[in-house]
Formats: sequence, structure tokens, C-alpha cells
Amino acid sequence: MELREFYKRFSLDESLAVGTGHNPYYLRIDSGLDEKIQVNGHEMIDLASNNYLGLATDSRVKQAAIEAVQKYGVSLCGTPIATGYLDLYQRLEEKLASFVGLEEAIILPSCYQANNGLFSSIAGPQDLIIVDRYAHSSLIQGIKAAGSKIRPFLHNNLEHLEGILQRSRGYRQVFVVTESVFSTEGSLAPFKEIVQLCETYRALPIIDDSHGIGVLGKSGRGILEEQRIEGYQGIYTASLGKALANSGGMISGKKGLIDYLKYYCPHLVYSTALTPSVLAGTEAVLSIIQSEFGVIKQRLVTYQQAIYESLIEGGFTLAASEAPINSIQSGSKESTFILAKKLYEQGILCTAFIEPSVPVGDGRVRLIAGANLRQETVAEVAEIIKRIGRS
Amino acid sequence: MNLEERIIRTIQGALEKRPEITLESHLREDLKVDSLDLLMILSGLEDEFSITIEEDDFLDVITVNDIAVKMRARGI
Ligand SMILES: Cc1ncc(COP(=O)(O)O)c(C=O)c1O
Repeated sequence: MELREFYKRFSLDESLAVGTGHNPYYLRIDSGLDEKIQVNGHEMIDLASNNYLGLATDSRVKQAAIEAVQKYGVSLCGTPIATGYLDLYQRLEEKLASFVGLEEAIILPSCYQANNGLFSSIAGPQDLIIVDRYAHSSLIQGIKAAGSKIRPFLHNNLEHLEGILQRSRGYRQVFVVTESVFSTEGSLAPFKEIVQLCETYRALPIIDDSHGIGVLGKSGRGILEEQRIEGYQGIYTASLGKALANSGGMISGKKGLIDYLKYYCPHLVYSTALTPSVLAGTEAVLSIIQSEFGVIKQRLVTYQQAIYESLIEGGFTLAASEAPINSIQSGSKESTFILAKKLYEQGILCTAFIEPSVPVGDGRVRLIAGANLRQETVAEVAEIIKRIGRS
Repeated sequence: MNLEERIIRTIQGALEKRPEITLESHLREDLKVDSLDLLMILSGLEDEFSITIEEDDFLDVITVNDIAVKMRARGI
């Protein structure tokens, strides 16, 4: 009886999907991220994944992963502190840290886990964490777990942030947490200014560069390169599952802190290490970025621009994006699902954001055209978008 | 400015969108306040009234007036 009551609490409200005749979530994909992908048996164009540079199916990356499997097998069946600390793992730590320009790095199974584990390892009830109001769920959950005082600031609003910093006295440490690219919008944080404010008020900046690493900066090294932030004294996290086209999450920064986390961040210490194929795949992506970033980035920018123009011509309202993301302001969750459905029916896979991923009634339909797509495919997308806009 | 006006102004400053706010406004239904917005509002109230607020004490507020009642109960 009581058990039934318990399980009754978890019934899913499917009225939105039923009412709009479309559920954009958990669509089954039957292929890799190729030029056309297979979704529920339909051939579609992928504008939904975070495969910015299009390297998820690159033959060199696949080859590196295959060789790693041949050499090491599929798993080391241990956490990094035990048998998981492969030579590949150590090398990737070093390469990632040097790629973003910081002293050291650790690699966790995901950036969600990295963000979840970081705060409770470094902050506690005597501390204050100031966080952008639109920060990713992984940051918010991680921050809440630390038990510190939390003060959100208005999205990208330096004045509001400074006001809070001015009034925040008596804490052991104040942290300021934000993301480089806010992925539902494509907006960029004024991180250089945030770092300066942190210096003024002796706060510690923490940046999640998940959508910036491999995308921003003149050689793809992310937000610190993009905004020419030198001698960064704060903490840096990023996902390896987006532009870097593999999986995992990094935490990087000062050597002393990273060495500490290697023993005191339970999310690292007690979780099976990334597998050899992923470690080798990520390393291969880094090396491609180092030699080809300029060309790849140019394609990414051209594609974004082409899609942007078609959206404007189609009469869509867009969020102001500074990243290779086009984000349509789609309003209520119903209209967000309906737009996603129209795109789906025309063969375009997009990402639909409704609350709680975005504020209530302020839905987004996001389109990311990876650099792996061909020009003709992007032109096809642009035509479809214009047609949908006119209909 | 009376207490209620100061509270309304604080809430206005704490939300990204600036909705019409009255004492009767429901935080969730009318103002679309989510858990982070509530934290923003509480931080704003801490600054406005120079007090410290425990989030847990404010989890049961439904309307703007409920906040005013809690503030008065604290002697503000
Ligand atoms: C800003 C941000 N941080 C963290 C994550 C989580 O990264 P991962 O997929 O590696 O867990 C994401 C991905 O959804 C993200 O967008």
C-alpha cells in the first residue's frame, strides 16, 4: 500500500507530448553523427548534438580509439587512484592543462560529475558562492551540495555582481561561478571583467567552459584565450563531450589545488576512470585542433551565419548569440514543442529547451551546425527553415 | 516608502523579467519564480533590510504579501 503511494508520486505527465503530438526527448538514434543521421528509422540532419567541430566520426579519431582498445582493452576497471591511471590518462591530463594554459588538470567521467564534486571539496558553510542565475544544473547542484551561502546574480550583469561582492563580508572565501558560453542562448560571459572584479574583491573565479573549449579563442583553447585572460588564478572546468567529441569532464587550475583534489574529490577518487578509447580519442581531437582549427572554425562560423540568415528571413526571433549557436525564442513549452516537431518532420533534429532548463514560458529551440556538415546540407537546412517560417 | 513597497521593489530588481507585481501576486504562478529566483529575492531582501535570511524559513511563501508578513514578524 505505502509502496504503491511511493511509486504513484513518479507518474510522468505526458500531456505536453500528447497535446503537441511530439516528444523531442529520448529520440532513438540508430547511427553515428554522420552527414545524415538515423533517428527512429528516419534520415535526418543533426543540428542537435554538440559536435561543434564535427570530429566525433573523424577517421583519425576513430583510429586512435580503436588502437587504444587494441592495446589496453575496453576498460581498466578501476578508479584513477587505483588501476585507472593509465599512461594515456596521465598524458591527457597534461595535454588538457597545457591546452587551456593552466598548471594541472584532472579528468572525471563527466563534467556534470566534475561540477558536482568540485564545490563540496573546496567550499563549506563559512563560504559564499555567487553564481550566474542561468548557470548549468551541474553547477547549481554542485554548489547546493557544498552547504555554502548562495547568492545568484542577474545573468551576465556585472553591476549586480559587483553590488553583491561589495556587500559580502565576513566569509572565509567568496567564489564567483559562471559559464563561458550559456548554451541555451549562445551568450558569452564578460569573464575578463568578472576576473577583474574577483581580483578587486579577493574572490575566486570559477568558469565552466564546456561550450567554449575547442570553439572559442583563435586556436580553440577556450574562454581564457578568447578574452585574453592571462595568469588566471581561478578554477576551470569543461566537458570533453562537446567540441572535444568524446566524453569526460576536466577540472584545471593551480597545481596545489589539483593535487589536493586527486585525493579529496570523492567524485574523482571513487568513480571508474575514463576508458582507453575515450582518452585516446580526446588526445587525437586535441592534436587535430592544434593543426586544423582555423579551417574548421571558419566552416563552423560560415554555417552558423547561413542558418542565422535563413532564420531571420523566416521571421524567427533569435537570442543574441556570440557562439556558433542559433537559438530561437520559441515562447511557451507548447510552441517550443510544435516548432521542434515542424523541424523534425522536415528532417532537422534540434534541441528543444523548456522549463526548468530555461525560465518558465521562455522556451528555446537551439540549432548547432557542426563543421562536419557539407555546404549543401547547410543550404538544405536554410531552405527548410525559410519554408517553415513562411508557413 | 513603506515595507510593502520596498519588498515589491526588491523583487522587481531580483527578476530577469520585470513583471507587474502586487501584494497579491503569487510568486510561482504569476511571477514564474523558480528556486533560484527565490534565492535572488531573498538575497535582495537581505541587502535591502540588512538582515540575514535562512532560505528554509521562506520556503512556504506563496504570495508577495506572505513575505511582508514574515518580515513584519521579524520586527521590520
Ligand atoms: C555548461 C555545461 N556544463 C556541464 C555540462 C555537463 O557536461 P558532461 O556532459 O560532460 O557531463 C554541460 C553539458 O550538458 C554543460 O552545458
